[in-house]
Amino acid sequence: MERLRAKVKKLLEEKKVAGYLGYKMVEGHPLPHLFTLENLAELEQSIVAPGNARYPLDKLLQVLAARYPEASFAIQVRGCDERGLNELYKWGQLDPEKVVPVGVACPQEQADYCECPGPWPSVIDYGEKCNPVAVSRRVQQVDALPQSQAFEEWLGHFAKCIKCYGCRDVCPMCFCKECSLEHPELMSTGKVPPDTIFQLVRAIHMAGRCIDCGLCEEACPADIPLRVLYKKANELVKELFGYETGSPATGPSPWRFLGEEVTLEPKPL
Amino acid sequence: MADKEFEPKIIGFFCNWCTYAGADLAGVSRLQYPPNIRVIRVMCSGTVSPHHVLRAFQKGADGVLVGGCHIGDCHYLKGNYMTIKRMRFLQDLLKFIGLESERLHLEWISAAEGPKLAQTVRDFTEKIRKLGPSPLKRAKLAA
Repeated sequence: MERLRAKVKKLLEEKKVAGYLGYKMVEGHPLPHLFTLENLAELEQSIVAPGNARYPLDKLLQVLAARYPEASFAIQVRGCDERGLNELYKWGQLDPEKVVPVGVACPQEQADYCECPGPWPSVIDYGEKCNPVAVSRRVQQVDALPQSQAFEEWLGHFAKCIKCYGCRDVCPMCFCKECSLEHPELMSTGKVPPDTIFQLVRAIHMAGRCIDCGLCEEACPADIPLRVLYKKANELVKELFGYETGSPATGPSPWRFLGEEVTLEPKPL
Repeated sequence: MADKEFEPKIIGFFCNWCTYAGADLAGVSRLQYPPNIRVIRVMCSGTVSPHHVLRAFQKGADGVLVGGCHIGDCHYLKGNYMTIKRMRFLQDLLKFIGLESERLHLEWISAAEGPKLAQTVRDFTEKIRKLGPSPLKRAKLAA
């Protein structure tokens, strides 16, 4: 923790950043907090959220960046948060010149729980690298189901939805000003559970965008296994287009350009 | 349900420049194809969003047929490059949630291919007839 605090302190004192978005313990709860040079002493209370306590810091950063477009900010990132930053740079929502990541490597339990393929960011200021989880067993389990059974299970899950929009509101990658989920011509309005396609529409938007932080699933009051759906959507994007979501190496999302050539063919009737 | 014979309801999204013109040709050539298809003309198959396909299924379509120009023939040069990306992805996603991916079909049909259009609609209708009503529709009835 000292290493992390020292790095942040230096960044603040040298005025490289206007603030550091991290966590602070408030009455026993780890909450997101913006540390600034004016309240430097507070930095002693800066922590890495313990256990699996997590907030969409990337989302808060977007709000900050929009309000203070000239300022740079440091931000605590896990592997998933950094993937989020990379994706947000690509979608033009954040400026990489104005973001300094402060990296936290996740412990093994977290990586196992998330089935995370990349549980640490490119810079590590706290924690040790653990073993990544390359294959999602949860996705495999659904893949192995007979088609009709898979449909019944998903239908059961979708029917539990109370349309609270929690998955969308917590999502660091949901930055659209207008949302298809609320578009009266694409989605029935005023009924619960929503249309069966509600979660599928979101899955389409998450393909090549979801950074697999899992906050949607944790926020969901109906325990819909959203993460499995989005993990699969990303898997498909990788399989079909070779696009690795959240990686700085692979170019823009396949949905953003037409392409120079067509490698896919329509499936035969 | 069992006593009434199942007639598939199919939504077709046909591009203005190729497939829709192909349908015109099929029409003026007096080629027969089943009336199960309801055609929606779009300016380019690349404008067909996965939302539209999902919305069609939600509203009770048993199958969705998307028709566009052959690759290289797109009136807007590369609109259909996006069509194939979207439709292939959507087919695989539908399969994952347990909906038959065959219910969504993409076919490149040019303005000169009237017979191909008629044949595709005939084959697709028969295929959907065999698959039976969309499980999404059954789910809605049960609710």
